[in-house]
Formats: sequence, C-alpha cells, structure tokens
Amino acid sequence: MAAYVFRRTLQAIPILFGVAVIVFMIVQLAPGSPIDRFRTPRVSPAQLEALTRLYGLDQPILDQFVKWITAFVQVWRRDAWGYSTLDGQPVLASVLERVPATLRLMGLSLLVTIVVAVPIGVLAAVKQYSWTDKIITTLATIGYAIPSFILGIYVLYFGGVVLKMFPLFGMESLGRGGGDIFDLAWHLVLPVTSLAIQQIAGWARYMRSSMLEVLHQDYVRTAKAKGLPRARVLGKHALRNALIPIVTLLGLSIPALLAGAAITEFIFSYPGLGQYFVQAVGVRDYPVVLALTMVGGLTVVLGNLLADVLYGVVDPRIKY
Amino acid sequence: MDRIEPASLAGVDTSARDALRSDTDEIDLIPVRTFWQLARQRFMQHRLAVIALFVLAILLVMATVIPLATGIQYRLSDLRLINDGPSLTAPLGYDEVGTNIFIRLAKGTQSSLIIGGAAVLIIVGIGTFVGAISGYAGGWIDNVLMRMVDVVLSLPVLFIILMIVSFFGVGDIRVVIIAIGITGWTLAARLIRAEFLTLREADFVQAARALGAGHRRIILRHILPSAMAPLVVAAALGVADSVVTEAALSFLGYGISPPDASLGNMLNKVRIYFFSAPERILYPSVVLVLIVLCASFLGDGIRDALDPRQRIASK
Amino acid sequence: MTNAVDAGDVGLLELRDLKTHFFTQDGTVRAVDGVTFEIRDGQTLGVVGESGCGKSITAMSVLRLIERPGRIIGGEVLLRGKNVLNYSDQEMRDVRGNQISMIFQEPMTSLNPVYTCGDQIAEAVELHEAISRREAWGRAIEMLAQVGIPEPARRAKQYPHQMSGGMRQRVMIAMALSTNPELLIADEPTTALDVTIQAQILELMKALRERNKMAIMLITHDLGVVAEMADEVVVMYSGKVFERADALTIFEQPHNPYTRGLLASIPRLGDKRERLEVIRGVVPNPLNLPTGCLFKRRCPYAMPVCDTPPPVRQVKAGHISRCWLTPESEPPSIGADAPPEVAEAAAQELTVAGR
Repeated sequence: MAAYVFRRTLQAIPILFGVAVIVFMIVQLAPGSPIDRFRTPRVSPAQLEALTRLYGLDQPILDQFVKWITAFVQVWRRDAWGYSTLDGQPVLASVLERVPATLRLMGLSLLVTIVVAVPIGVLAAVKQYSWTDKIITTLATIGYAIPSFILGIYVLYFGGVVLKMFPLFGMESLGRGGGDIFDLAWHLVLPVTSLAIQQIAGWARYMRSSMLEVLHQDYVRTAKAKGLPRARVLGKHALRNALIPIVTLLGLSIPALLAGAAITEFIFSYPGLGQYFVQAVGVRDYPVVLALTMVGGLTVVLGNLLADVLYGVVDPRIKY
Repeated sequence: MDRIEPASLAGVDTSARDALRSDTDEIDLIPVRTFWQLARQRFMQHRLAVIALFVLAILLVMATVIPLATGIQYRLSDLRLINDGPSLTAPLGYDEVGTNIFIRLAKGTQSSLIIGGAAVLIIVGIGTFVGAISGYAGGWIDNVLMRMVDVVLSLPVLFIILMIVSFFGVGDIRVVIIAIGITGWTLAARLIRAEFLTLREADFVQAARALGAGHRRIILRHILPSAMAPLVVAAALGVADSVVTEAALSFLGYGISPPDASLGNMLNKVRIYFFSAPERILYPSVVLVLIVLCASFLGDGIRDALDPRQRIASK
Repeated sequence: MTNAVDAGDVGLLELRDLKTHFFTQDGTVRAVDGVTFEIRDGQTLGVVGESGCGKSITAMSVLRLIERPGRIIGGEVLLRGKNVLNYSDQEMRDVRGNQISMIFQEPMTSLNPVYTCGDQIAEAVELHEAISRREAWGRAIEMLAQVGIPEPARRAKQYPHQMSGGMRQRVMIAMALSTNPELLIADEPTTALDVTIQAQILELMKALRERNKMAIMLITHDLGVVAEMADEVVVMYSGKVFERADALTIFEQPHNPYTRGLLASIPRLGDKRERLEVIRGVVPNPLNLPTGCLFKRRCPYAMPVCDTPPPVRQVKAGHISRCWLTPESEPPSIGADAPPEVAEAAAQELTVAGR
C-alpha cells in the first residue's frame, strides 16, 4: 500500500513538470513583459535595463525556467514563489493565507455533494421508472446543464436578496475576527450551496447508473436468495459495489470543483484562491498567476492520486 | 389416437420446414434501408433530441436574422431609453445604458454560438489528430501522446484559459476561441484513440492494408468515417462546454467586453439587477441553459442514431 | 389437472399451475405457463430443458425472486402445504436461505466481490439463527471444510477473486447449506465449470444430500447430470411441463417426442451413427408462440390434431406426458432405427438443441 502510494506519487511528478512547462510557456509566449508596468516616461531605459536584469529576464528562456522551477519547489523558503508585483508581498505567504478559505469551500461542497447525491442516486436507481426516478433524473439533467456561475447568481439572489437570510458577500462579517464559527458558517451557506448543486446533479446521475448496473448483478440475487432484508441487500451488497466507480469521480471532479470555486468566490466576493487568481490575472501579477496555476495543477494531480488510492481501498480486487 | 405411420413423417417434415421458412419471410418483409436512413429513423425516435434540434434551430435563426436586421443597434445606447419598459420593438425593454435588451440577447447568442462552433472545430481537430495518430501508431508514439493528454487533463483549465485570455488580449474573440480550443481537446482525443485502437485491427482495415493502401489513406478513408459516432458526441459536449466557458469568461470580465455583446457580459451588472431588475438575469441564463441542454440531448440522439446496435422500435 | 401425487404423501414443495409472465415492451412472454410438479423430502428432482424453456424462472419463482417486468400471475407454490405466494415479505425472507437455499450457474459472479467468503457465509447463518457473529464465523469455516475446501480458516478470509471457479461454487454450496435447508435449488450448478470440476461438485452435492437429508431441485440442460443425480425428472419446453416421470422411465421409456429428441441428441460412446441426432429448428419465439402444441413445428410426429393444445396424459402411474400421442401408441424411435430420410433431414438442420 505505502509502496503503491509512493510509486504513484513519483508518477505524478513528471505530470506536474509538464504542467509547469505549459504554464511557463504561456507566460513566455505572451506579448509584453513583466516589466512593462514600470514603463512610464519617467523611467529611464537604463532603469528598465536594470529591472530586466534584476528579474533575470535577460537570460536564456531555459535558464529562466530552471531558475524558476528550482526556486518554486523550495517551499520552505519564504520567497520561493517570489513576490507579488502588485503589493510586494511574498506570494507563498499570500497563497497559504487564502488556502483555508478555499479548502473550506471546496471540502464542504464535496461533503454536501456526497451526502446528498449518493442517497438521491440510489433512490432513483432502486425506484427505476417510477415518478421519483423521473423527477430526480430530470432535475439532475437540468441541474447539470446550468452553468455554475448562473447557479451562483441565482443562489445569491434567492438566499441573499429574496429571503434576505444570508450575507451577500464576504467570508465573515466586518469587525468580527476569524474566531466566530457561526459567522463563518453563515457566510459559507450560499457559496457551498451554489458550488454543490452542479456537482450533486452530476454525481447523482453517475450514482444512479452505477447502482442500476450493480442491481442486475448475480451477487445481488444471491444476497436476496439468502433471505437478507431489502435494506441490507441494497445498503450492504449493492451500495458497496456501486460506490467503487464513484471513487473515480472524486478525482475527476476536482478540476470542475476548482473552476467552480474560483467563479463562486468571485460572485460571493469570498476571499479565497480563486478570487485571488481572478484579481491577479487582470493586473498581470505574474508570480501570483504562476503560483496559483501550479497550485491548481497540484490539486488536480493530488485529487487523482487520492482517487486511485481510494479505489484500491474500496475494491479488494485491486492489487498494488 | 392411432399409431403414426412412418410414411407420414416425411410429410410432417416439410410442414415443419415450411414453418421455419415462414419465419424467415417475416424477416425479409423489413424493407432494406441504407445506413443513413436507419440513422435518421433512430434519431427521430429520440424525442428529446428532435425537440433539441428544433430549439437549437430557432435559436440559430434568431441569432442570425435579428443581428443582420438590426445592424449595430446592439451596441448603441440611447440615454432617453434607459431602463425603458417592454415595447413592440424591444420586447424585453432597455437596459441601464439604454440598449435594446432583446437585440443584445440575440447578438450575445450569436457570439456564443460562433465561439462554441469555432472552439469545437479546434477541439475536434486537435482531438482527432492526436487521437488518430495515437491509436493508429500505438507503441511509444501512443505513450508519449497519452502522457501529453494526462498533462493537459491535469491543468486547472479555467486558470489557464483566464491566463491566456488575459495575457494575449482581453476581449479578443479569436483569443477566447483559441484558449478554449487548445485546452478542451482531451476527451475527443481519448474517444478517437479508443476507436482507432479497435478499428486498426478490423478486417476491412487489414484488407485495405493488404491492397497496399498507405497509412494516410487508411486513416482518412477507412478508419475515420467509422469513428464518427464518438466524434459527434465529443463535438456536442464540446459546444456546450465552450459556450459555458465563454459565458463564464465574459462574466468574470475577461471574455467579450461591452459594448460587444455576450451572454456572459450581460450579467456583469448582476448585483445591480438583484434589486432593480432581476428578470434581466433570467434572459441570458435561459438561453445559456437551453444551448447546453439542447447540445447534450442532440449529442445523445446522434450517438444513438449512429450506433447500429441500437434497434428500431417496431410499430 | 393430472397429478401424480400419491395420496397421503405430504410434499415438501408443490407447484400448482404456476404462471410467471414477463410484460415487456414487445409483448407478454409466458416464461412459466402452468407448471405443476412436486418435490418430496430427500428427493432429487431434475428439471431439464433447453435454454429459455423457463426452468430457471420456475426456480426463481419458488423463492419469489422474480423482478420487473416479470410477475407471478397465477398458481400456487405450496411449501409444506402453505402457499408462499401469500407470504409477507418477512415470512418470505425466513424461507429464503433458510428452508430453501439456492445456488446459481455463475460462481464467478454470484459471490459479492467486496466481501470475504467467510463473511458471506456467516451473514446467512447469523441472519437465520440466533447466534453470535463469532459462532457464525465458526460455522462458516466448518461449512468450508465440509465442502472440501482445504485450509478453511485461511480461505474464509479470502475474497472471491482469490479463488478458482470450482472453489467459488463450493463456497456457494457452503453458503447455501450453512443453514441446513430442507430444499436446495441448484440452477445449472456445474455448467460454467470444467468437466473434472463438474464431477467433483456433483459428487459433493451427492454426499451432502445424504448427510443433510435434504431435497434438491436440480435445474440443468445437461441430461448427463440428471442421469447422475435425479430420482425424478421434469422436462420443460416453452414454459410448460412436457413430461414428468422417475429418472429411469425418462431414460428408458420416454413418451414425449420432445424428451425423445433430447435423449437422441446425447452423443454416446461407441455410437455407430454417423451423425448425431438433433432436434431440428429452434425454440419458438416466446413472443410469438405457435397455436396448439408448442413443439409441433419441430416434432417429427406432428399431425393435424397438434394445432389444438395437447392434453396432459397419464402414461402410467407417476408418468405424465403432454402430447396427443396416447400412452398406448408407442411411437417409432427417432434414434438409430428411424427411417433414413428422417435422420438425413434432421442432420441437415444446423441448429443443435441445447448446447
């Protein structure tokens, strides 16, 4: 097991390296240069020259890449990810500061998704062709078709404007410190809801088809023939098998969750990594953009890794 | 009952055979139809897909005709008409800068469909190219290309698209199309690859090879036409994805910016609409959801229609 | 309805005019259509017929395991004289895996892949008997030993995928017998196995039958298996019982032309015939059954009267046959001494009955 995780982690490294190359290439290919923002009439060419040298922009591209990537992995150093060109703060610290907010948002959404989607999907499968099934399937299909930012807008509208129950923006009320858990939770309700709805729609559909497939398996018939109560047949024998492919969804849904989180944070003015990225990319804050894109890639790769490992845990047929 | 004489056995024999023959006759009664006739028939049975096609056709007509008829009205603002109510020429009223919302919506739908269509061309193009070579060549070429796919799959796609759009030109429709296209081809590539992996061993491909057909000819003339079904599915999903991504980009302020029209940037002022005109959120959302729903239903319908294993329900 | 039950003999299980139909989009399939037979304590009843004749559906109906679009629409399933079709779900569950156990054709897929074999056996025991988890586990190991699995304590902790097909079928049998059922329904228990393993499993079933004094309802298309195991045989065709008699009679003096056809299609060692007899044609489309006798299109003895449904006649005590041929009419065998043109015609048909 440990050996497998280790090997699988090693396999992730070249992929992350590939991500880094692509991200770096985009920055290199982009017209203009990071020092353009200093290019005002009052800045002399010599000063620009000095800045170019300071940032290492006069060196060959390969050297720049190697320098960037070697610095980037030294996360124990405060300046590993450079300094924001916007506020001069070390990027690593700024990112770490915002990680908990995004992690809370994504983690809670995923939790809500699983808690809601699995029972719904199972219900639809068990009652195949019934009205319950039809309603669930229809809602899931529509829910899946609604773009996440539209969902966010509507959730914000109904929760914040129509019902006037939840705050319209932010992570916590002004003037209150981070310690008030109820306040934090109150601010999370709408963002988590909007992020979870689309995920729920997708997961419920997947869960339904997975469960339907399992219900026709011979071992479910065996369980019934043993005289097990229906709840036990479904809950123990069928569900356990139906959940195996669901585990892969965990990894697959990370990119969508990440994108959804960014948009949700933007809509709800929620100070997480996504909102940070949207701000940074607008002002071409290269170090921040590079760092956050790499963090995004890392999240996706870790998600897949987690899914693979979990797959082995839930399916005894998988050998490491 | 009398004992049956052996002589009668021969007679019974033919009657049994006649019975069998009448079975085969039933099969022969089904008229011979071409692949495309059958495909059309299967598609027409897919009620949702037919409705989706119909709705998409209406949207397409509106997105073509209305902008043509109204010229640049979608970007003109008339201060006297700010927030004006609905009228015959403006069924949805005027927005906060005095632009006809209905015309803007039609123009926005047009940009969405253009971007969706153009991006999907890139998606299908790259996807087919990579998938076909990977599946046909196999070996180390396949290995290298698939690792490439793994890397692209691991990209935080929205971040990358935002980066490209922001660095290469905010508001430039071509940049938006390219950004969406070059990040979205992995699914198409995987589907095509899977199809090529099986088809390259197929008898008709072996036969073509035996007749001395070159790789190019085998790929283009023999395998690719048979791999259409997954391609169509990937394209339908690609259109939906591209339209949504563009809308999200424009909503975030990085796609198409006003006064150019986009379904996404019609929602830029959403926080104002909350309190003054919530119905204005509805218009672009409904069009967006319709496009996505219809594209996916259409994809399902075409996939089933092109799958010869799908049977046709008898009347 | 003719009934060959000896008066006063209380049957363990008795099916009376059982009807299980499937209501599909394309029409109604009468998978089981008026099946009547009984099984006495300790008896082994073979139910034979080609694929699709309704023998498995009959077995599933006994345990009420029929799923949509199928439904038991008529008849009675009397277990010790009580109709289980009227049982509540709870009462039915007490029958399943307890009074009546079932094993299936596919040992590879009939065990749940995510639980250990011991777990799955213990689960049944724990359910039906008021004993602790630990005791149930002990029983599971004991059962594995009984079905001839070496190192049962270690094997109990293994998952199904770690075992061979024969081993898995042994596990299935252990599971079925762990609660000491009065009746074991075995649905093609050896079909998916290699020939040598088949023999082992049959031997095992025989031994356990003696030890546990249980009845077996053995469903198979393999007449060899029937010959090996069964006391009495029911021959089914297109959802109906075509012939029923004790095993010896079925093999030595079959009456129904269908049974004769089945027997003639068995290859025998030292057979002098150049071609194997086969039943010509195929099983009729269940959605479009012929009127009258269901077998008439394939029957070498078909006659005009076969256009009306044949009666079920008593050939002799305990031997019934669904055919217009009277018990007295001893039809010519379609075996070796059939007229050459019949054998020729039969051989030209490519379709082989059964497998």
